[in-house]
Amino acid sequence: MKTAILLAIIVLADSAGDVLLTRGMKQVGEVTTIALKPLLRILRKAARNRNVVMALFFMAIYFFGFLALLSWADLSLAFPATTLVYVVSTLGAKFILKETVTLERWAGILLVCLGVALTSLP
Amino acid sequence: MVAVFAQASGNVFLSKGMKSIFATPMAEGLSLSTALQAAGSPSIWLGIVLSILFFILFMTALSWADLSLVLPGISAEVIVNVAFANYFLMEPVSPARWAGTLFVAIGVILVLRSGRKPDKLCRMEKKPPDRPCR
Repeated sequence: MKTAILLAIIVLADSAGDVLLTRGMKQVGEVTTIALKPLLRILRKAARNRNVVMALFFMAIYFFGFLALLSWADLSLAFPATTLVYVVSTLGAKFILKETVTLERWAGILLVCLGVALTSLP
Repeated sequence: MVAVFAQASGNVFLSKGMKSIFATPMAEGLSLSTALQAAGSPSIWLGIVLSILFFILFMTALSWADLSLVLPGISAEVIVNVAFANYFLMEPVSPARWAGTLFVAIGVILVLRSGRKPDKLCRMEKKPPDRPCR
């Protein structure tokens, strides 16, 4: 039960981080240069964006949650379970960010989930 | 593509660094001395730098494209990871892992193909040539 609850927190935190980071970067604007000065300006703008900061907070929860999970659960259980992030993040992208997710993209995402889960098995 | 390789190389260096630390008799479990050893390892530092580079490139990709395209797209990292682990770290790769890698590859191709759909739809809408869809 403890594992299931922590897994749910990890998956939700990572997905929230992904969705907020996407929203934040869309607000910051497209990165169209590789020159150092404008890049640093964009980085400063991103660091001041509330969505990006909140995304980093949720990603930190994910990171430390995952470390805590690994302290008692096997990596071969923990890692395949975290591939649920792909599905939850895509749901977030569809319903919160209003992205168009076609059937082909869903099929690809599910194959990626299955594939990542398989590669982490012993 | 650069993000995928940065992340995969970062993982290789982190894995190599952590394994070399845990291979020494001093390191038993996570302790302050292990952490200090990790901080002194060039492999760990290179791994951390590459991971930061990955995160910046991930943010850049998100500023251009949909999350539902970028997130599965960067999972191509798994393919490079398995190949690097097999080639550089000499880790054995089971048939299940190779099968998983194949699934990821097909999945990524499907997701990237779906990313081209708006262009096709756009052409079907017969927009005037002076107003491109993208």
